[in-house]
Amino acid sequence: MHSTSYIIRFTLIMTLIVAAVLSIMVSGLKDTHTLNESVYNKKGILSAVANQLGKDVNSLTSEEVQTIFEKQIIQKALNNKGEELTPEQIKSITGASSVVDIDLGKENKKPADQRVFPLFVYKSADNKTYNILYTRGKGLWDEIWGYITLDSDLNTIAGQAFDHKGETPGLGAEIKDNKAWYTQFTGKKLYNQAGEYKSVAVVKGGVKDKDHQVDAISGATITGDGVDDMLNKGLAYYEPYLKKNKK
Amino acid sequence: MAEVLTKKEAGAFSFGKEEKKLLTDPLNDNNPITVQVLGVCSALAVTTLVSKAIVMGIAVIFVTALANLFTSLLRNYIPKSIRMIVQLVIIAFLVTVVELALKAVNYPIWKDLSVFIGLIITNCIVMGRLEAFAMANKPWKSFLDGIGNGVGYAIILVMVAVVRELFGKGSLLDFKIIGSTPEYLLNTTSTAWLSWYSPNNLLVLSPAAMFIVAIIIWIQRSRNAKLVDIS
Amino acid sequence: MGDIINIFIKSAFIENLALSYFLGMCSFLAVSKSVKTAIGLGLAVIFVNGLTIPLNWLLDHYLLNDFFGQDLTFLRFIIFISTIAALVQLVEMVVEKVSPSLYNSLGIFLPLITVNCAILGASLFMITKEYNFAQSVSFGLGGGFGWFLAIVAIAGIREKMQYSHVPAPLRGLGMAFFLTGLMGMAFMGLMGIDPAAFK
Repeated sequence: MHSTSYIIRFTLIMTLIVAAVLSIMVSGLKDTHTLNESVYNKKGILSAVANQLGKDVNSLTSEEVQTIFEKQIIQKALNNKGEELTPEQIKSITGASSVVDIDLGKENKKPADQRVFPLFVYKSADNKTYNILYTRGKGLWDEIWGYITLDSDLNTIAGQAFDHKGETPGLGAEIKDNKAWYTQFTGKKLYNQAGEYKSVAVVKGGVKDKDHQVDAISGATITGDGVDDMLNKGLAYYEPYLKKNKK
Repeated sequence: MAEVLTKKEAGAFSFGKEEKKLLTDPLNDNNPITVQVLGVCSALAVTTLVSKAIVMGIAVIFVTALANLFTSLLRNYIPKSIRMIVQLVIIAFLVTVVELALKAVNYPIWKDLSVFIGLIITNCIVMGRLEAFAMANKPWKSFLDGIGNGVGYAIILVMVAVVRELFGKGSLLDFKIIGSTPEYLLNTTSTAWLSWYSPNNLLVLSPAAMFIVAIIIWIQRSRNAKLVDIS
Repeated sequence: MGDIINIFIKSAFIENLALSYFLGMCSFLAVSKSVKTAIGLGLAVIFVNGLTIPLNWLLDHYLLNDFFGQDLTFLRFIIFISTIAALVQLVEMVVEKVSPSLYNSLGIFLPLITVNCAILGASLFMITKEYNFAQSVSFGLGGGFGWFLAIVAIAGIREKMQYSHVPAPLRGLGMAFFLTGLMGMAFMGLMGIDPAAFK
């Protein structure tokens, strides 16, 4: 039988060793962790312009991702009037030091006139401009989000990428994994011919409106509705900006 | 500290019949998942993709082996009354190390596995082996026992994942192998075999893992009557 | 208030720890041979889950997130599991002193709970779901209740299974796996129900 003082000493020494080793590891790996995280998020954005890049986004190294972001992408942040914000304004409103760090989930909880929306403008090698819009909503279990790339007419969808926090593998998670599903969005239009905002709807039982509807995933009704709702509401926030820049 | 103890227990590094049995037994007749029924939870959640199962398997081998080793080194110093907590702290420490390392090495997989890395702590394999083996045996043997059990666990994990990914998604390690419909992956260009087969989504859902483990148990017990449950 | 009831219903039925996430399977399969013991273990899980999750929430928010300006969240695993282990031991001692009869029925299950991944899993889910304190209490109780329901149901089926002609190699464990899988599929039918509709 060990004495109480031995037990206390044992516990203290053990706690100290464990805490020391872990803190050394954490501080040593901190930079790698933040770099990995930012590259992961940036790759998520680049997946929306995978067609224009002509490369598989997952095969890019972190340096390549950083150079694409430096040279070909302009990061903007808009308010709900479609005006661009300066870095100081972004910092004071959202607390984020760069556009990539803006937490859209938090923004969506604010009153509409105080929200900030990130926008990424991608210049392809053949000098075309693509606007990448960012939208976030709720799926079945948790948050889902998507990046929608608009062609230079600011109407036709030229690329898309969806992701989720915890949808069911094989059902809701298909929004990220099933290429046949998400490529349906390419070529769809946000505005109808009269110029009214229509968004793109996720529908069951066959697409009737070729320009504004995609087929739902069977078995993932709620996630599909979530995508529908997220696109409809989230992309509408960019309307003032799109109208202003449309020729 | 390790150096002092290895000197004290010199000659313990032999690798004879007994040691070999420690390594091979858990692979089949004493498999942690199908026979000892330990560590089932994570076996189900991480087996949708072979790549996830392999990473998880490696993480568990690392944790069982080192937790067994450390516990065995400390076995005479751990106060009996706080034994459980000490063991759990050792395991949680190793799991945190694995998590931090994985986050630095392969961020996307870390993101995919999310809480299931943390759940290695309560993976009963680790705790079970510490109680049943490491507290009573010498470090070298405990280390081998840990590796054996970790590998036994990893094998079942990969087996389940192969079935689920191949028939559920038509791919293996993210490369499209069979089936007609969607190229789930951007990097597949070649045409797949058995183009009439349409991947069965049911296998990607978690209950399917239950059925696959049950079938593995069925096969294993049909071949080895000793394992049959009499009750 | 509606929000809290929502989370309770959601965590008990829709996001059932045992049958949707398949957590706590070791004890789930090992202790579900008879309804009586299953009820004992189930109650113990409700009890410990309901206590540890709010406690871990407090520790995470007031100690780990901001420890004199330091972010100590990397110690989360160690702190959470120590809390669970310490609490289980404490509860065991208190129950033994206060109510020996309860101890006799619950006592043997308490040590099993420390390594029940449903408890640690629920604590980790509580972090990723970003609940506030009241919500985490409800999540803890609801999650425990869902697990209780699941293990009692499976034990009931397994008792009946005694009278069925199951192929010898499948008897016991093999059949338990099949049953759990089938029940998991049945529970998937509850997925997507919006608990807000019950308000």
